[in-house]
Amino acid sequence: MRLNVDFTAKLKKFGAETTYECFNCGNCTAICPLSTNEEQFPRKFIRYLQLGLESKIRSSVEPWLCYYCGECQQTCPRQANPGELMMSVRRYLTTVYDWTGLSKRLYTSTTWKFLSVGILFFATLFIVYLLHGPIVTDHTELETFAPAEIVHPAGYVFGTILAVILLGNVYRMHKFIMGDTKAPFSLYIQELGTLIKHFAIQARLRLCENKSLWLKHWLLMTGYTAAFILVQVDILTFWSLTNNPPPAWHPAKILWTYATVAMLYATTVAIIGRLKKEEPIHQYSHSTDWMFLILLWLTVFTGFLVRIFMQFDLPLPTYYAFAIHLAFTVPLLGLEVPFTKWSHLAYRPFALYFLNVKRRALEGE
Amino acid sequence: MSYDVMVIGGGIAGMEASLTLADAGYQVLLVEKSPSIGGKMIELSKVFPTLDCAGCITTPKMAATANHPNITIMTYCEVQEIYKEGEGKFRVKILKKPRYVKVDDCIGCQRCEIACPIFVPKEYEYGLIGRKVAYIPFEMASPRKALIDLDNCVMCGRCERACPTDAIDFLQQPEVVEEEVKAVIIATGFKPFDACLKKEYGYGRYKNVIHALEMERLLAPSRPYNWVLRPSDGKVPDRIAYVLCVGSRDKSLDFPICSRVCCMYSTKQAILFTSALPLADVTIYYMDIRAFGKGFEEFYNMAEDMGIRFVKGKVAKITEKEDGNLVVRVENIDDGTIEEEEYDMVVLSIGLTPNSEVVKAFKNVEIELDPFGFIKPVSENTNPVLTNVKGVFVAGCAAGPKDIPDSVAEANAAAIQCIDYLYEVGAKVVVR
Ligand code: SF4
Ligand code: SF4
Repeated sequence: MRLNVDFTAKLKKFGAETTYECFNCGNCTAICPLSTNEEQFPRKFIRYLQLGLESKIRSSVEPWLCYYCGECQQTCPRQANPGELMMSVRRYLTTVYDWTGLSKRLYTSTTWKFLSVGILFFATLFIVYLLHGPIVTDHTELETFAPAEIVHPAGYVFGTILAVILLGNVYRMHKFIMGDTKAPFSLYIQELGTLIKHFAIQARLRLCENKSLWLKHWLLMTGYTAAFILVQVDILTFWSLTNNPPPAWHPAKILWTYATVAMLYATTVAIIGRLKKEEPIHQYSHSTDWMFLILLWLTVFTGFLVRIFMQFDLPLPTYYAFAIHLAFTVPLLGLEVPFTKWSHLAYRPFALYFLNVKRRALEGE
Repeated sequence: MSYDVMVIGGGIAGMEASLTLADAGYQVLLVEKSPSIGGKMIELSKVFPTLDCAGCITTPKMAATANHPNITIMTYCEVQEIYKEGEGKFRVKILKKPRYVKVDDCIGCQRCEIACPIFVPKEYEYGLIGRKVAYIPFEMASPRKALIDLDNCVMCGRCERACPTDAIDFLQQPEVVEEEVKAVIIATGFKPFDACLKKEYGYGRYKNVIHALEMERLLAPSRPYNWVLRPSDGKVPDRIAYVLCVGSRDKSLDFPICSRVCCMYSTKQAILFTSALPLADVTIYYMDIRAFGKGFEEFYNMAEDMGIRFVKGKVAKITEKEDGNLVVRVENIDDGTIEEEEYDMVVLSIGLTPNSEVVKAFKNVEIELDPFGFIKPVSENTNPVLTNVKGVFVAGCAAGPKDIPDSVAEANAAAIQCIDYLYEVGAKVVVR
C-alpha cells in the first residue's frame, strides 16, 4: 500500500482543514447513528487522511454512507470537525470519479469556478440572442420568443450530455468500489430496488437524530424532481413554453408551484443556515457549497419571475427573465450535476447499490 | 492581632502552606469558605498509588493546623475585598457568615442535630444520604462545631431547647471584619466538573450514573452505607464501568486540558472496588492512560493484573434501560469495533475545573488567569507559585489540576517564597 505524504495538504483544498486535530478517540464513530461495524466511519477515514492512505480512500464506499447529520461534530473532544472531514473526502472522491478533470479544477480553483459559470452564463445568453424568435410586445408570447422546436431538442441534447458524463463517472466509481470483486449480472438486477429506494427517499438520512434535516432535504429533492419532470413533459402538456398559459388549477401548474415553494424554501433556509453557522452541517462552507446554493436559488427565483411576469402579461420582462433563467440553469446543471455537489444525487444511491452487490457477491463466493 | 499572611482556602495546600509559615514563626490567618477545613482531600477514600487512607493522613494535618498557636482559622468565612496598599500591606475585608451557633459555647455534642426534624441532602456525602438542618458537617470536621442551615430551617426551635450550653443563637447577623496582612496565598483548589454538562452521559437523568467523588464516598472507610450500592435499587453492582476524561481534554466542553488525576484515581477506585468484590467486572474506558508519576505505571499494571479491563476509546454515549442498567457505546480503538456493553453502574471520572472567583476580591490589583481560568503563575516552569501581583502567591489546584503530592510540594514552595517576601518587606518573626 502506498502512502501519499502530501495527501493531507491536497485535501485541505477540499475543506479538510482539521485532519491533524484528531487524536483518534473514536467518539465520532461511536456516536454516529449511521456507522456500523461493517461500514465504520468517520474516525477510520480521518486516520486514513492522517496517514496519507489515498488508495484506501479512493476505493471506499463509506464516505457516501455519511449524511452529515453532525452528531460527531458536536461532541468531538478535539473539535476536529469529523463531519466536515467526511464531506471533504466526498468532494475529493467526486474529483476521483470524474474522468474529465473539470471537477478537480472546480473544487480547487476559484478562477475556474468563476470562469466556467461566467462562460456558460454568457454563452447561453448569446445563444438565446442568436436563436430567439420574433419578439411580440403587445402580448406575452413566450413560445414565439423561444420556439419549442429549438428549446426542447436543445434541452434533450444538453441533458443527454450531462447524463452520459455522470454515468461515465458512476461507472468509474463502480470500478473503484468493486476492485477485483466480480459480481454476477443477476445481482445487479436484484439489487435495483436498493438503488431506486435510496434515490427516492434517502432512507438513511432519516436515521439521523435531527429529523428536520431529512425533511428539508426531501423537500428540495422532490422539488427539483418535480421541476425536472415538468420540464420533460412540457413537450406533451404545453403548460410552460406556451403562448396561452393554462389556468392556475392545471395539474402541471400546481406541481410547479409546489416545486418552486419547496426549492425556494429549502435553499433560502440553507443559505441562512450557512450564514448563521448554528447547525454543524452548516458551520463550514466550501466555496462550492456557496456556488451550488446561489446558482440554485437564482435559477429557481428567475423561473418564478418568468411565471409572475407571464401571469401579469408583461412581454419584455418575461422574455428577459426567461433568458436569464436559462443562463443560470445551464451552469447549474452543467457544472453541478456531473462535476460537483449535485453529483451526489447519483453517487449516494449508487454507493449503497454497489455496496450491496459487492457484499452479496463476496458472500456468494 | 495582626497577621503576616492570609491563606485563602483550607484544603491540603492551604493547610500545608499555613503550617510551614506558622512553624517558621509567622502569624497566619487561614480563611475557609465552608464550615470545616480539610478541603477535597478529607472526602477521599484512599490516595494513589500508595493506597494510604486519605482520612488518616488528612486529619493529623487538620488537627495540627487547628491547634497551631500561630494559625488563626476562620471557617465559614469569605474574603470579600482585598486592597494592596503597598508592598507588605494588604487590607482585607472578610465576611463572617452566621452559623447561628455560638462557636465558643458549642461543645459538638450533636444534640441539636438529633433534635432537628428536617433532613436535607448532605453536602459532604454528595447527597448520597441526608443530614439535619442543624448539623456538624462531618465526623472529622474541624472545628467540630454545629451550624444551622437557615434556608431549610422551619424555626421549630427544637435545637435551641436541646442544646445543653445554650449555644444556638438565631439572632446572629453576617459580619464583615477588616484585617491587615502582609502577604496572601491563594489555595482555593478546584471545582469538580459539573457532570450534567456532558449530556450524552445522562448524569442527573440516569440514576446509576454517578461521578467519581460520589464513588470516593462509597469506597471511603467513613462511607454512607458501608457498602457500594447502586442508587436506583440498592443492588450491589456486578459490572461497573468508568468513563475517563469527563470534562477534561474536551474542547467541545471548553476544557481542553488534562486533569492529571482522573486516570489514577479511577484506577485506584477500580482496585478498591475489585478488592472488595473480586468477582465483579470493572471496565475503564480511557483515551490515554497517563501514568506519569512515580509508581503510577506499576499501579496501572497492578490494576490490569487484578483483572480490571482497560479499553481505549472515548465513550460516545450512555443509554438507560428500564431496569436501570446502562448501555455504554464506544469505539474500541484497540480492535476497531463499535462496542455496546451493559453495566449496573457507570462512574464518570470528572475533571478538575478552576475555582478562581477569589480574584474578584482583589479590588485595586488584577490577578491574571490562564486561558482555562486557573490562576496564572508568572512562569509555569521556573516560578510556579508567584502570581503577577507581588506579595500574592498561589498553591495547589488553584493554579491548575494536580495531585496531592504536587499540591503539598507547591504549598511549601509558596510558603517559602512568601517568607522571602516577608523578609523583604521587613516582617518580624515572633519567637515564642
Ligand atoms: S474526529 Fe474527534 S471524535 Fe473523532 S476520533 Fe478524532 S478526536 Fe475523536
Ligand atoms: S429550628 Fe431549624 S435547625 Fe433547629 S431543629 Fe428546628 S429545623 Fe432544625
